[in-house]
Amino acid sequence: MGISNTVYNAIFKRTSTYTLAIVASALFFERTFDLATETIFEKINEGKLWKHIKHNYEK
Amino acid sequence: MIAAVAKSSTVAPLLRGVSQSVPTTVKSLAPAVVLSQPQVVLVTPDRLKAVPTGDVRGRSGPCISTQVRFAHTDIAVPDFSHYRRSSSIDPKSKAKDNEENRKSFSYLVVAGGAIASAYGAKTVVTQFITSMSASADVLAMASIEIKLGDIPEGKSVTFKWRGKPLFIRHRTNEEIENERKTALSELRDPEKDEDRVQKSEWLVLIGVCTHLGCVPIANAGDYGGYYCPCHGSHYDNSGRIRKGPAPLNLEVPPYKFADEGLLVVG
Repeated sequence: MGISNTVYNAIFKRTSTYTLAIVASALFFERTFDLATETIFEKINEGKLWKHIKHNYEK
Repeated sequence: MIAAVAKSSTVAPLLRGVSQSVPTTVKSLAPAVVLSQPQVVLVTPDRLKAVPTGDVRGRSGPCISTQVRFAHTDIAVPDFSHYRRSSSIDPKSKAKDNEENRKSFSYLVVAGGAIASAYGAKTVVTQFITSMSASADVLAMASIEIKLGDIPEGKSVTFKWRGKPLFIRHRTNEEIENERKTALSELRDPEKDEDRVQKSEWLVLIGVCTHLGCVPIANAGDYGGYYCPCHGSHYDNSGRIRKGPAPLNLEVPPYKFADEGLLVVG
């Protein structure tokens, strides 16, 4: 109860703060989402990517 | 109009949304139904049994109530608490008091959608814009490394860079001094020699005449720099236009000195 009241009054009540909060969280979301999907991609393609086989071709 | 207003009582049964119960001392033996007129039914062919014949009268219309409902007191009111917000589940709680709690959840859901769509929109736009830029294989071919030790003083050497001729000129001290002394007022496209070179002895130019795109000839013309044979444009030892139809100085590409004696163009 307490937390939702505070969040509502501080952020959701005004469009300005609401929009700002959305934009700010979109930045964090992007970073997290990209990192997560990249990790999944590399896990699936383990050993197939250039950075995994690079050491075989370097002197 | 007047009649409709005056006879509004006839419309009243239609507007009634609740069940009606008529208290009566007489208890009906059979469940209440709307009785219709007796029907004479043909007996012989079976399929005609259902067809009413004779005096069948319609018993429905705006003035006739065809519906009789009993007031049921034994049916429990359904429990909707599963569908209600936890903050307002208590029927005595005031809407004003749990407003913030209810709204914050709705706003949170909308914000979640907005964040996801902002991310999606950004990705689409970024993908579209990056699709316009040069790909990695093009970029890899786009720069050229030149060993400056191979170019003797006073010589202009031509290379091919991005499909265009590239002039690298090792200028003598005399040439540099000459170009530094030239007054800007004499020039058609005024540019200082210092602004056109990074190291004063090395002049790097794109060898395309600014008039109609011919390739000028090095160490020729009235000013000792470059001379375009097509229409007679004379460039000096800084690649600046001095005489002839060309409107602008020869273009200087982006370049840097990576090492001592190694020039990277592009």
